[in-house]
Amino acid sequence: MIYAYAFVAIAACVAIERFHNRKAKIAIALALAAFLAVGPRFYGNEAIFSVLADAAVYVMLALGLNIVVGFAGLLDLGYAAFFAIGAYTYGMLASPQFGLHLPFWALLFLAAALAALFGALLGAPTLRLHGDYLAIVTLGFGEIVPQIFQNLTKYTGGPNGIAALDVPTFFGHSFGASVMPYYYIALVGIVLALWISRNLRESRLGRAWMAIREDELAAKHAGIDVLRSKLAAFAIGASFSGIGGVLFAAKLALVSPDLFGFQVSVLIVSMLVLGGMGNIVGVVVGSLILTIVNSALLPQLNSLVDASFHTTVDLSNIHFLIYGAILVGIMLFRPEGLLPNRERRAELRNSGEVEAEA
Amino acid sequence: MHEFLAQLANGVELGAIYALIALGYTLVYGILELINFAHGDVYTFGSFTALVVLVALRAAHFLHGAGLILGIVAALAVAILACALLNAGIERLAYRRLRKAPRLAPLITAIGVSFMLENLIELWQGAAPVPFPNVIPNPELEIGALQVGVQQIVVVALAIATMVALHYFVKRSRLGKAMRAVAQDRDAASLVGIDVDRTIAITFLIAGALAGVAGFVGGVSFGSAWFLNGFGAGLRAFTAAVLGGIGNIAGAMLGGFLIGLLESFSTWFIGGQWSNVAVFSVLILVLVFRPSGLLGESLPEKV
Amino acid sequence: MSLLDLVEVTKRFGALTAVSNVTLKVEEGAIFGIIGPNGAGKSTLFNLLTAIYRFDEGRISVDGTSIAGLTTQRIARLGVARTFQNLRLFGNASALTNVMVGEHLALHSNIIDSLLDTARERRERKEAERRARELLRFVGIAGVDEHFARNLSYGTQRRLEIARALAARPRLLLLDEPAAGLNPSEKQDLLALIRAIRDTGATVLLIEHDMGLVMNLCERIAVLDYGEKIAEGTPSEIREHPRVIEAYLGAPA
Repeated sequence: MIYAYAFVAIAACVAIERFHNRKAKIAIALALAAFLAVGPRFYGNEAIFSVLADAAVYVMLALGLNIVVGFAGLLDLGYAAFFAIGAYTYGMLASPQFGLHLPFWALLFLAAALAALFGALLGAPTLRLHGDYLAIVTLGFGEIVPQIFQNLTKYTGGPNGIAALDVPTFFGHSFGASVMPYYYIALVGIVLALWISRNLRESRLGRAWMAIREDELAAKHAGIDVLRSKLAAFAIGASFSGIGGVLFAAKLALVSPDLFGFQVSVLIVSMLVLGGMGNIVGVVVGSLILTIVNSALLPQLNSLVDASFHTTVDLSNIHFLIYGAILVGIMLFRPEGLLPNRERRAELRNSGEVEAEA
Repeated sequence: MHEFLAQLANGVELGAIYALIALGYTLVYGILELINFAHGDVYTFGSFTALVVLVALRAAHFLHGAGLILGIVAALAVAILACALLNAGIERLAYRRLRKAPRLAPLITAIGVSFMLENLIELWQGAAPVPFPNVIPNPELEIGALQVGVQQIVVVALAIATMVALHYFVKRSRLGKAMRAVAQDRDAASLVGIDVDRTIAITFLIAGALAGVAGFVGGVSFGSAWFLNGFGAGLRAFTAAVLGGIGNIAGAMLGGFLIGLLESFSTWFIGGQWSNVAVFSVLILVLVFRPSGLLGESLPEKV
Repeated sequence: MSLLDLVEVTKRFGALTAVSNVTLKVEEGAIFGIIGPNGAGKSTLFNLLTAIYRFDEGRISVDGTSIAGLTTQRIARLGVARTFQNLRLFGNASALTNVMVGEHLALHSNIIDSLLDTARERRERKEAERRARELLRFVGIAGVDEHFARNLSYGTQRRLEIARALAARPRLLLLDEPAAGLNPSEKQDLLALIRAIRDTGATVLLIEHDMGLVMNLCERIAVLDYGEKIAEGTPSEIREHPRVIEAYLGAPA
């Protein structure tokens, strides 16, 4: 069942990418949105909503990171840190931890703002660094943040984290035990994230990012404030992650430092790489594929293999082998990703034409 | 005072290991401008190959008297060889095709290779730390107020001997000169008849060999090996290489010892759970205020 | 007051003095040429003007504002735009987008506009696109709008880079060897283009190897040799200047 949803979503994305007609693209997108909104109500259960909600959160995260890596060309290997900041914002302010029970909806905004602030704080001194160095500094930041949450036991519950987080309410109605509301919130989040991504790509700021990515020196000569533009990318990207963190924490009703390690950052980078960095639709496809592989295919593969060979192998053991192989394989054989952005594609087609852009 | 000296000795011991790993990062970065993210895992692989050899020899009751020395030498040699081949193999299969690719491609590939290695090592040796055979007797020696274990002396001596050998190799030998030439200007080097591919392959062999030595001494020093050891140690070692000035061999050694000391003293003063924070804060500060490192030279941007 | 004013500017790289004690004034509305043999310090001088390098001694001011300590992007705000000897286009973007990036300083939409695609953002984008097409036509490469910069021919790329620089509405346009690699007929077109640019009110300062082109085009010429200015004057004065003849015969470019 979950594969059916994933398949339809991916097929629709590919169709949007292939069609040149703007109206057709919009029609497919609307049909897909309607399908994803209504379908699971009739053909679905809690487990499916749960996987779909996770997938939706990851799509949001990937769209946020895409702004940093795909648009501005800054490799951020510590993106999970902002995810952690968002999650702990909810964990600390909507739980018995301090007896604060701030509303979920307000915390979505607060987490976005806090994550953006930390993005700017990290970026201000480090965004002067080039390429690999920036990657390593962000990696270091990504290692430090969960560690700090782990060490400040008094405030964060230490290695055990904070449990029994508040169940959000919507106009007085509690979300209850169902995960369904998170799915719909994340779906709305994706629509917003897609809209913002598209706006940014076509904007003055988006052109500045493109220029910086292509040739930083030439960008400076055009009068672009390189540092400020990069900071904007960092802050905006981080804010997506902060919102994702709140959703994640509220759905799980738990935060703990080990949920936000380097693997999470690399997982999201893998989604971008797989789908095609910089291309909004490609990134959505990449994150859908990896989340489904992650939370549906691998666990089921396990029981499938066990049933057919009477073994008890644990295939969740090879998650990282699979991610690693995806990263290496894509870089070696299809560096532009499954659905490359129009620049890369044009490069490959070796011709100058571009279709009218949606 | 006593505690201070003990921490100093610890720091130097840790630093020796980091320095050996850092050299691998710096050699490869110097020649390819690539952060070989998988290097830390090559180090882990070295620990486990040495461990496996020692466990096998112990099971065969070989590790007595002269056999003990032979066994240690054999474990070290196997670790060196295995790591050298692994590292060169990674270069051949993954990085070589990406020499002309955009900068992010080789780095992402390296991260992918790192994940694969970690997972493969986990499948091979399990997810729990494996005790490293205690082959080097470890009586405490008292030198004035300083108490050091024989193991510590062996670890540091082995590391320093390796670094001296590397230094002379790079400065004096034909191959070492070729490496420096390729690092400086690949095209010019190939014009004067240096086989660039071969030189790069040899650089990876040497970097891998150094990781092998580090894997062995790391196993001895920590008393265990774990499939994720290389991630943390690799990051610290990379920090060391950056601190010293990446691409600079003396810098990697200096940086290694400084990071080792920082870790041991920060553990002492503010607790081990903060040592990561301390190390990465140093990394960020160095990169922000002196990106060329302590011993590196800054170059103007090419226009 | 001159638009560009250099007083005793010196730049050293270690023991090498790349630019030595150069004093130069470029008047508003001029087409000014700098010539000199290879390694004479011409490109270094340009790089000082846009703060790629910092000068060690002397003063440089643009329209009376000292550029000492200013960053490249601040200098761009003073109305200085340039092209590069080895083209620096945004290769994987369309020609149109390249020029639109050049318009960056002429636009005012802020981050909120960009995030929400406000009316101002849309209006500016439309206007920027219209102007970019106009500029492509002005430099004589109308019709390549949607083509990717990297796929264009060399001569077209040179013109595209000029269009991008013009998009910033510069008061001072720096052209770094604009004729390099062009054939004679392309050079003729370039000559006309540079004159047309000046006629729009911009001041043009160019570095060039092609003596013929410079003599033809520039009203004033300065000659650099080993980082020093050895002569300055009108084309006819330069042609007969003994030190120039010596420099060029001694080290033919």
